[in-house]
Amino acid sequence: MADLTDASIPKFAAGCRWGGTTEAPVVLFPEGAIRVEGTGRIILELCDGHFSLAEIVQKLEAQFMLAPKGKIRADVETFLQQLHAKRIVDY
Amino acid sequence: MPNPLALIAEITHRCPLHCVYCSNPLELTSRNEELATADWLRIFAEAAALGVLHLHLTGGEPLARPDLAEMIEGARQSRLYTNLITSGVGLSRERLAQFVEAGLDHIQLSFQDSSGGPANWIAGARAHAHKLELAAWIREHQIREQQTGERRIAFTVNLVVHRQNIDHLEEMIAALEALHPDRMEIAHAQYYGWALQNRSALLPTRAQLDRAVAVVAAAEERLRGKVRIDMVVPDYHARFPKACMGGWGRQLLLIDPAGRALPCHAAGVIPGMFFDNVRDHPLAWIWQNSAAFQKFRGEAWMPEPCRSCERRQEDFGGCRCQAFLLTGDASATDPVCELAPLHHLIEDAVREHATAGPVPAAREASFHALQENTAGFWSYRTDPK
Ligand code: SF4
Ligand code: SF4
Repeated sequence: MADLTDASIPKFAAGCRWGGTTEAPVVLFPEGAIRVEGTGRIILELCDGHFSLAEIVQKLEAQFMLAPKGKIRADVETFLQQLHAKRIVDY
Repeated sequence: MPNPLALIAEITHRCPLHCVYCSNPLELTSRNEELATADWLRIFAEAAALGVLHLHLTGGEPLARPDLAEMIEGARQSRLYTNLITSGVGLSRERLAQFVEAGLDHIQLSFQDSSGGPANWIAGARAHAHKLELAAWIREHQIREQQTGERRIAFTVNLVVHRQNIDHLEEMIAALEALHPDRMEIAHAQYYGWALQNRSALLPTRAQLDRAVAVVAAAEERLRGKVRIDMVVPDYHARFPKACMGGWGRQLLLIDPAGRALPCHAAGVIPGMFFDNVRDHPLAWIWQNSAAFQKFRGEAWMPEPCRSCERRQEDFGGCRCQAFLLTGDASATDPVCELAPLHHLIEDAVREHATAGPVPAAREASFHALQENTAGFWSYRTDPK
């Protein structure tokens, strides 16, 4: 698997995009769809090719100020790595 | 009632290939019965309104329809995620560009083996070389789109495996990896239609299957993050059946070339079934009211042991069509299940066919030589008028 570093720019992999409705958005990919809510949705909305991992983590830390130091980064990494293994997110 | 999530559109049964594992019905729909473009566009819009997310354009060979680009465009306008499932025969570089332009999300290209001789022998047509050429054109789009940062079309290679090619799996994965797919789908032949007729030549042995599982596991490990590998395990060798179509009338609906709405691609084999036609009814009415969709929906039809089994919400008692094809009773527990009263039918088939079947074909053999040596070995899928 590719390394996920501060400079990595996560974005949807080929053939993956948003679908569903504004109230209930889903991520569509060739063999299915996943419903994303809460933080997952916030992270994926930042995976539009404009932000690096470091910037995404920064934005989330600003939004969730009470989260323990390092936790947000670890959570974002795990989330993105899981989606990368499924070829939904590339970086 | 849940809404359907995917629509399988068998837009034509015509096909230039004659794959021996084809799961199309033996009775194929002819060209003059096919729905018109406008019918399909209406169905796509109705499907999207019903909550369908994915459209699978399949056949036969969907490329046999000259209006395919229009259909892709219409599907995208209806906001459907659009998949094209194809053998590639009939797709030029220009036509591919049209599809990409029209908004195709994903192309799934089938391969029959790792080298031309056996691949063409299995397909009953000289198709392998063209598939390789086509893969290179898909690659061009992926590279261009990557450079411009535009949305990119996903590329899946699909491989149906069975006794004649499963021993070449390692070479196949290597050959397909070189084509830069995003995904590889390794699907074991499913015994419906033509595949069922050819079962004695196709069913793999247990030893073959175990080797294949190890090969796929190693490839998954090596390609993680690069190529996603999905393997569909052959249910004849499993302990429990697959949740066919995610349960009857629960997630999917299939429209055949003539407009009949089926809960699954093989449902036409079950006697006494009547399939309502999209020419006569709106899709929403069919999904809710069509007798064919009601028939095995829910649990009321279930016999024991399914009725009181804790797995019934997971596999829904297995496949109704397989139950009928093998036991003569569409409401029987799928005989693939080790708890089924008629499970011995599967054990017998595996013992008979998959232990001492014909020797797998050599990779180097030519199409011509294979055909000469194996005349009458299996029956090729025919083409409808
Ligand atoms: S003959 Fe082959 S390519 Fe044609 S529909 Fe059947 S499986 Fe698909
Ligand atoms: S008995 Fe029926 S519900 Fe239970 S595992 Fe077997 S097929 Fe599935």
